[in-house]
Amino acid sequence: MSTKSQILSSLKNSIKERFPMPDIQIDATTYADPLAQFISMTKSVGGKVVELQAGDDINQLIRSLYPDAKEIASSLPEITIATRNPDTTPTAQSLNGTDVGIVRGEFGVAENACVWIPQTMKERAVCFISENLVILLPKAAIVNNMHEAYRRISFNDLGYGTFISGPSKTADIAQVLVMGAQAARTLTVILIP
Amino acid sequence: MSNTAHSKAAKEFLKNQKYAKWHDQTFWSVRTKRDNMAYGLKEWEQLRETASAIKRHTLTHLDQYLDQFSTNAEKNGCIVHWAKDAAEFNEIVLSILREHNVKKMVKSKSMLTEECEMNPYLEAHGIEVVETDLGERIIQLKGQKPSHIVMPAIHLNHDDVGELFEEKLGTEKGNHDPTYLTYMARLSLRNEFLTADAGMTGGNFGIAETGDIVVCTNEGNADMSTSCPKLHIAAIGLEKVIPNYDCLAVFQRMLCRAGTGQPTTTYTSHFRKARPTAAPMHIILVDNGRSQWLSNPEHWESLKCIRCGSCMNTCPVYRRSGGYSYSYFIPGPIGINLGMLRNPKEHSGNVSACTLCLSCQTVCPVKIDLGDQIYKWRQQLPSFGTANPEKKLMSSAMSFVFNHWGIYNSALWVSPLANRIPRSIIYLPLNPWGEGHEMMQFPKQSFHSLWKKGLSH
Ligand code: SF4
Repeated sequence: MSTKSQILSSLKNSIKERFPMPDIQIDATTYADPLAQFISMTKSVGGKVVELQAGDDINQLIRSLYPDAKEIASSLPEITIATRNPDTTPTAQSLNGTDVGIVRGEFGVAENACVWIPQTMKERAVCFISENLVILLPKAAIVNNMHEAYRRISFNDLGYGTFISGPSKTADIAQVLVMGAQAARTLTVILIP
Repeated sequence: MSNTAHSKAAKEFLKNQKYAKWHDQTFWSVRTKRDNMAYGLKEWEQLRETASAIKRHTLTHLDQYLDQFSTNAEKNGCIVHWAKDAAEFNEIVLSILREHNVKKMVKSKSMLTEECEMNPYLEAHGIEVVETDLGERIIQLKGQKPSHIVMPAIHLNHDDVGELFEEKLGTEKGNHDPTYLTYMARLSLRNEFLTADAGMTGGNFGIAETGDIVVCTNEGNADMSTSCPKLHIAAIGLEKVIPNYDCLAVFQRMLCRAGTGQPTTTYTSHFRKARPTAAPMHIILVDNGRSQWLSNPEHWESLKCIRCGSCMNTCPVYRRSGGYSYSYFIPGPIGINLGMLRNPKEHSGNVSACTLCLSCQTVCPVKIDLGDQIYKWRQQLPSFGTANPEKKLMSSAMSFVFNHWGIYNSALWVSPLANRIPRSIIYLPLNPWGEGHEMMQFPKQSFHSLWKKGLSH
């Protein structure tokens, strides 16, 4: 008998009574102004929010936010200042040393500042390896909470997606909060019309 | 181990009074942050109730959900393995690594690999394993084990870490600033990520309906571990599988709020398959006792645990004695219970590490009756032949109280009086917790009366 069938039959023998699935109807918190809540949560988890004004140029805006950036990585067609492309990079490793990575978020979550980022580039390392991460997020795409979020997420064939809320952080040394553990040290969400 | 193993070890911990106090206060402040999060959501109790019911349902249909999970993961292109115990798990990992010619593997935090003692096994077989969660990396460099399931290096202060990094990473002498030290660790780990041949993650959840492995981290180390190397191995205990995304939303909302008092972890990552430039992803499902524990009529609900750490943060005994005072690798209330399921003879010394204040089950997001279970284990101590006469006397007094619910309720009701009892009485030699341990301050309103008013949290 394979280990799988051994384990499954051991489980069957152990289960005395099968409990029913509960009704998952959570009377969840919603917000009068989900965008305002999303912005304030993003700040409280250490991120920054900037709004792209109508008529402004996204490349100029990013430049002004990171005037010293040399290596900029993005596979988004509208990002013309990119010096690296995660779609054509020879290896994931060669994205190391990226000053600013720019990716697209599908929607944000008001309760906890999560932004859903499905993998759309060949090497998703750009989301983590970059010193600073910029997420372009449509301003109207904000849901209240994770219940709504999990009803909305979808995957493409690359089979990976992540919710990101703020920059990488740790408090593992003496419980002192430090931004920039192993992944992006800063996070800016740019709200686009 | 003798029955007083925990109190002996706790004495060691309490030798450094200044640190012991810091430890206690730190966890109390984490508990307070958790309370703020819980109070901030009107639906908190509804979430706990639902989470508990989902887990009861899932665990009692685990055969079906595991089958569904593995079928869907295979459909996604993953290779699924089943391990009956720690030895089989370690062998599977080694054989995958050998097949891919792996010399170095980076990994994110996993209590399962700790449970199976995977690192020493792989190292003995010539594989270099690098922990990438900062806390895990610190204790790996120090040759220690985690003292908390979410904050593994909480027993070290910044000077301890500073001196360790001076020696191991060549950092500046005397610079023990946590920001500086974190940055130096980042640089060193970055190099490991870039040169590793494989990355391993645990998993907070497996989703039966979609085959996702979901990993929650603050550091982004699980994503770094899997976005550069050409191979990803994910290892989870059987009980980590849940039915679908609607269930996941409930747990995702609670995990971090309960554990560290944050509204979410920074990263909640869903892995369905390998990167297009990598080898197929491997998933290892590990039993190692779980399918047996499920048959224990009194203790199977310990398997509902989502490893948030909340019960140890709030536990007056954990806060005042530290993770190393327990004989099982998971400390605190949940560790006491899981240790007893694992090996009651070896770990019965931990069951005395409980004041039965029930603070743990008041905070547990999946409503495991942790304190009640510890009480039940105590009743069984004589059958393991390990009961210590002093504690037995306490236990029989407790058993009298517990078996007479009227007395239990009124005892709790009068408990505010206990705060006014002189120290000399509380610290009678018969009370094994008197020595070195401040008595727990009973809340002015007992948990029971709060609960009756619907204010319990
Ligand atoms: S028993 Fe409950 S409180 Fe303790 S770690 Fe598990 S889920 Fe968290």
